[in-house]
Amino acid sequence: MLRRIAGSLYWAARYLERAQWRARLVDVNYNLLLEVPPRHPEPWGPLLQITAEQELFASLHEKVTEAAIIEFFVFEKQNPSSIRSCIEAVRNNLSPLRHLISSELWVAVNRLYLECPEWSAQSLAASGVSSFFADLQRDFYTIEGIIDNTMPRDLAYDLMEIGTMLERPDNVSRLLDVKYHYLLPKLEDIGGPADMRQWAAVLRSASAFEAFRKVYGHAIRVNRVVEILVFDPAFPRSMRFCIERLAHVLARIGQEEEQAVCETSPCADLLAMLRNGTAEQTILDGLHEFLIRIENMCARIGEQVFDRYMSLE
Amino acid sequence: MDAQRAGSSVPSGRAQVAEPINEMFDADGRARPECAEVIAYLLAMDSQRLAELGDRAHRMFQTMGVTFNVYGDREGEERIWPFDPIPRIISPEVWAGVEAGLIQRAQALNAFIADIYDEAQILKDGVVPRDLVIGSTQFRHAAAGIQPPGGVYITVAGIDLVRGADGRFHVLEDNLRTPSGVSYVIENRRMMTRLLPELIRALRVKSVENYPAYLLASLREIAPGGISNPTVALLTPGPFNSAFFEHVFLSQQMGVELVEGRDLVCVDQKLFMRTVRGLKRIHVLYRRIDDDFLDPVVFRPDSLLGVAGLTAVLRAGNATLANAIGTGVADDKAVYAYTPAMVKYYLGEEPLLPIVETYLLRDPEVRAIVLRDLDRYVVKPTGASGGYGVVIGPRATDEQLAHAREAIEANPAEFIAQPVFPLSVHPTLNGRIEAGKASLVPRHVDLRPFVLLGEKPRVLAGGLTRVALREGSMIVNSSQGGGSKDTWVLEA
Repeated sequence: MLRRIAGSLYWAARYLERAQWRARLVDVNYNLLLEVPPRHPEPWGPLLQITAEQELFASLHEKVTEAAIIEFFVFEKQNPSSIRSCIEAVRNNLSPLRHLISSELWVAVNRLYLECPEWSAQSLAASGVSSFFADLQRDFYTIEGIIDNTMPRDLAYDLMEIGTMLERPDNVSRLLDVKYHYLLPKLEDIGGPADMRQWAAVLRSASAFEAFRKVYGHAIRVNRVVEILVFDPAFPRSMRFCIERLAHVLARIGQEEEQAVCETSPCADLLAMLRNGTAEQTILDGLHEFLIRIENMCARIGEQVFDRYMSLE
Repeated sequence: MDAQRAGSSVPSGRAQVAEPINEMFDADGRARPECAEVIAYLLAMDSQRLAELGDRAHRMFQTMGVTFNVYGDREGEERIWPFDPIPRIISPEVWAGVEAGLIQRAQALNAFIADIYDEAQILKDGVVPRDLVIGSTQFRHAAAGIQPPGGVYITVAGIDLVRGADGRFHVLEDNLRTPSGVSYVIENRRMMTRLLPELIRALRVKSVENYPAYLLASLREIAPGGISNPTVALLTPGPFNSAFFEHVFLSQQMGVELVEGRDLVCVDQKLFMRTVRGLKRIHVLYRRIDDDFLDPVVFRPDSLLGVAGLTAVLRAGNATLANAIGTGVADDKAVYAYTPAMVKYYLGEEPLLPIVETYLLRDPEVRAIVLRDLDRYVVKPTGASGGYGVVIGPRATDEQLAHAREAIEANPAEFIAQPVFPLSVHPTLNGRIEAGKASLVPRHVDLRPFVLLGEKPRVLAGGLTRVALREGSMIVNSSQGGGSKDTWVLEA
């Protein structure tokens, strides 16, 4: 396989994951705000903190209003990470390599791409925000299902899996970090109803709410949320699950190589950290520092993978 | 023989434009025999169902992403492939003659290329004027001394045909550089098998599905000697090229890599592509970029689309390029005037396919006659393709004519003129489902068949029928409002 194509597959998967993630993030927070009158002067502000896009947003919009946020996250063309831009990126990365993916996958992605130009504030209002996101989520699940059911477990699949599994922990990390450190700065609010609602929203943003209930019951505690989103070996959006998958795929790709990427630092170190760590100890030592470390390690694995399989230098 | 005049002609008197024929109906409005079944089938449909055909095709092409790019204000705008669901029928007898003529022509043009980049005997013999060839914008000095295996310079030729008032197919122009359109032939057929499966089966239409296999076979046959299992790759300029869809399609159907310049590297006069597992050797490169961009060492130094050192690889015989460098000189519109002479010169045969009478405007006498009645001629720039720069006298505004006159007088050698050719018309669907009804209207059509040269010639049955969708228009290019039809060559 051409190195350029390997890069396209990797980025297509990353953008697909990013688009899904953005959709869940906006959807969940929209619903959260419907239920309670917000105390926060800018209730939509934290979304921009999570994605670290305050500056870009400010350059495009004057005020952080619901309409502006939805435009920015869903269909703003000038935002390279808006859902629309992500879907276009997925489609444009896959378009030249249609021969490597199933035609079902191409048609599903292309269909979604063709819908994007029709999205607008008016069309969202007409269909209702909730049903818009419900439809979108179904489209994403369809695409994921097609990937799972039609793509042989070969190099093309593995490269996409690497993209997905590097993008996902990054998103989970930002979500946790922002909630833990910025959303509720007053100490006396911790454990209060607003705090609980926000942690529940965090779980829903990661589609982890129901899984959480099953394992931990009704009581939402910070360390349990960290446990399921970071250290859980079975939940498909936990960091550990993602890095286990990543290591597995890297081992498969690197079978004939002297040393596979997963056997080297930082991938091996990261896996050890996630296998051996606990939520309680991590919070004690400082969750923020821990998350920053994980984000950096993921970035370094990404660079290694790029140098070994994709770089044209 | 006077080389300046050989093959060229002087317009005589005021040519009358003959009435174009309708390919489905004769002058008395009766169905032509090979079209009778299709006509009966279409007439049995009400206009609602007819309109639905066009709409279904459009929707399916959209969902499948069958598109082409248009160069214009917005970079790489993607449009849905325009398709007309009324098929064009060619009888087995007519096709047999066309096929023989196409092979003859491709072989003669290939012999011409081989000759002019070697001994140039045809120029010495004065059959074609030397300055016309050497002075052509498409002549490439770098091609001299590169000898492709089997002497195949033109692997793929797209030879545009038009049907005249006498019903005969004439050659309108040759496309010998990177002819495109064949993927749409196959997509059009796949569409028709969905829209009208029972009709295709009943008529016994020759298949077009085998083209990618033919192309791959031809490409493998011209691999450097001694390579038993050559690696073929298709070189594309990238997603913004107007034919990018086709590049993806063909590489997919042939099962070869679709490479861009940045994927390639030349080491020790060998060509490689950069893969996940290291460098992999390429033996045959089917390129879909122009000569100028192939190799920054030899051609445009600013080109990022090609790969440095490619010409040296070809010269060393370590890879074959299809089509070879410099084939464009044979599709120059002025050289075209001499193509019948080439057929006689190289093959000793009479040309089976006539060409359209062509006047070289570099001849002062010819020029004077043409300029007197410019509004009666079609004027074409000699070096361009894709319908760009063509002025159709009878349809041009005074301003456009004045413009053309100025350009001709400034650079007479860069233009040719032809009498207005009465392109045949074909019934074409008019109207969309929103209007609730549709009708069939006559529209001008041409045909681009594809000829492959390798160890033996291969011809795709039929080719791409292009149709000018605007009433009266003769411009069939998809970038300029043209559509396409499926072409049905019937089994004998």
